[in-house]
Amino acid sequence: MKLKQDRMSSAERIDSLFNYRRPDHVPITMIAPTFSCRNAGLPVRVAYSDPQLNFYAMQWAAEQYAWDQAPQIVRHTVVEAMDFGGDVRLPEGEYEGALMVKSYPVKSESDVEGLKMPEPDKTGMIGIAAELGRLQEAHGLPVTFVSRSPFTIASNVCGLQQFCKWLIKKPELCERLMKAAFDHTFNVLRYWADTFGAEKIFVFMSSPSESNQVISPKQFEKFALPYHLLYHERLKALGIKRFYFHVCGEQNLNLPSLADAPPWEHPAILSFGHEVDLETAAQRFPKDIICGNIEPAIIQTGSPQQVYELARTTLEKGKGIPGGFILSAGCELPVASPAANVFAITKAVDDFGWYAE
Amino acid sequence: MASEEKTREILKAIQDAVVGYDEETCERLCSSVLEEGIDPHRAVVEGLTGGMERVGELYNSQEYFVPELLLCADALNAGLNVLKPHLKIEDAARKGKLLIGVVEGDIHDIGKNLVRIMFEAAGWDVYDLGNNVKIERFVEEQKKANTDIVALSALMTTSMLAMPKIIGALKAQNPGVKVLVGGAPLSQEIAQRYGADAYAPDAVAAVKRAADLIG
Repeated sequence: MKLKQDRMSSAERIDSLFNYRRPDHVPITMIAPTFSCRNAGLPVRVAYSDPQLNFYAMQWAAEQYAWDQAPQIVRHTVVEAMDFGGDVRLPEGEYEGALMVKSYPVKSESDVEGLKMPEPDKTGMIGIAAELGRLQEAHGLPVTFVSRSPFTIASNVCGLQQFCKWLIKKPELCERLMKAAFDHTFNVLRYWADTFGAEKIFVFMSSPSESNQVISPKQFEKFALPYHLLYHERLKALGIKRFYFHVCGEQNLNLPSLADAPPWEHPAILSFGHEVDLETAAQRFPKDIICGNIEPAIIQTGSPQQVYELARTTLEKGKGIPGGFILSAGCELPVASPAANVFAITKAVDDFGWYAE
Repeated sequence: MASEEKTREILKAIQDAVVGYDEETCERLCSSVLEEGIDPHRAVVEGLTGGMERVGELYNSQEYFVPELLLCADALNAGLNVLKPHLKIEDAARKGKLLIGVVEGDIHDIGKNLVRIMFEAAGWDVYDLGNNVKIERFVEEQKKANTDIVALSALMTTSMLAMPKIIGALKAQNPGVKVLVGGAPLSQEIAQRYGADAYAPDAVAAVKRAADLIG
C-alpha cells in the first residue's frame, strides 16, 4: 500500500534518515517475522523453518501495511542455546510464538569448561538464515544479521536463572560464556560478510536479559557494557556500517552508562520499549535515529481506535526528534495482533506523520 | 535454652544472612537455633521471613535486582531445610494456599519463581506447576489442592492469550477462586479485560495483592 502523498521509496526514506535528512513521512518498521506468517495464513513455525514462505509473507505484510523494511527483521541468525548444542524445538499450537528450549547446553559449571564453539557455516539454523539472506539480496534489500547481545546469548546458553546467580557467585563463568557468545557471533558474522559482502549487511541486535527488570545498572556496566564496546570495534573492523539496536524492555537505569560513550557508528537505529520515554531516549542519543515504542500488548488486545490514538501520541512525541524517528511497536509485533489494529498504526502515520516538502 | 537477648541476636544474624545471601551462614545459624533450644517457628517467622521482607524492601528501592533475590532465596531455603522438620503441626497454620504456573506456550519462569519464593517466604502454601502449563492442568490442580488463589504468569504476548481461557475455566469450576496475573506484557487494564481479580507488577506486590484478595 502507498500512503496518500508518498514522495519517496522505502529505501530512499531510510537512506534519508541515515543522512540526517527528513524523509517524506515518518517511516514505519516492525519486528514481525511471526506476525507476517500468521497474517499470510501460515503457521508461526514457518518463520523458523521455511525461508521462502517466510520471506514472501514478510514482503506481503510490508506492502499491506506500508512498512519500511529498515531493515527487514528476520528470526535470529545466531540461535543461542541451539547453536551451542541445546535441545530446541519449533513453536507449535495456539500459544507458542518462539522457539522452545527443552534443555540448555550448559547445565553445570563443568559444562562451561566443555562448551564447544559451533562451526559458523553449520551452526543452528544458519542454512535457513542464509537462504533468507539470499532472497533479501535478490530483492535489493539489506541482508540482515540478527543476534542478541553477548550478555543475552550467554544467559540463554545456561538459562537466565543460573546466569543471574553466577553473576554474583561465579562471575568468571559468566565471563567465559559471554566470551564464547561474542566469539561465536563474530565467527558467524565473518561468514556472513564473506558470503554477502560487509556493505550489504544490516546488523540487528536486541538485549532483553540486560533489562533492569532483571539486572542492576551496575551489573549492566560491569558485565554487559564492555561487550557492547568490543562488539562495535569488531563491527567497524569488518566494515559493517548499519546497526539497529533494540534496547529491549525496561532499561532506563542502563541508559546513562550506554549514552556516556555510545560505541556504535552514528547514526544507528535505536529502538526502545514503551517503558522508555522517547524524549528521554532522544536526549540521551542525539546523534541516532530513535525508533519505537507503541506498547505491543495494546496492539494485540486494544481496539483499533485505542491503537490509532496511541500511535498518534507516539508520533507527536517522536516526529520532531532531531536525529530522526521511526514509528514501531515497542518490541516484536505480537503474532495475534488484529489486522485492523496494525492498520491503525499505518493510518496514524498517513494522518499525522508527514513532513513538509 | 538461650536467653531472649541471645535469641534476638541469632534471629537478627539469620535475617542478615538472608539479606547478605550467605547460604552457609544461614544454614549454620538455623542449626544453632535448634542447639540453643530456640523455637524454630519463631526463627522462621522473625529470622528467615523477616530477612526476606528486608530483601523485598531492597528490591522495591532498586538496590537489589533479580540476581540478589535469587541468591537470598537460596539462603532462605538452606535455613528452612534445617528448621522445617522441627516445626510443629500447629505452627504450620499458613496464610493461604496458592497455585502458580507459567501458562501454556511459555517457558520463561524466572518471574514465576520469584513470585513463588516471596509467597513461600511470607508463609503461604505454594503449589508450583512449573512452566508451559496447559489450561486443564490449572483447573485440575486447583480443584485438587483447593487453593485460595491461582497465580498465572506469562512473558510473551502469544502465551498471555491463554490467560482469559484459564480464568474462565477456573471460575466456571469454582466461582470463589481468585486469580492473580503478572508478567511483562500484562497490565492492570489487560488483567481486568481478562477477568482476573488482580494484577501484580512484581513479586513483592504479588504477595500484597494476594493478601488483599483473601482479606
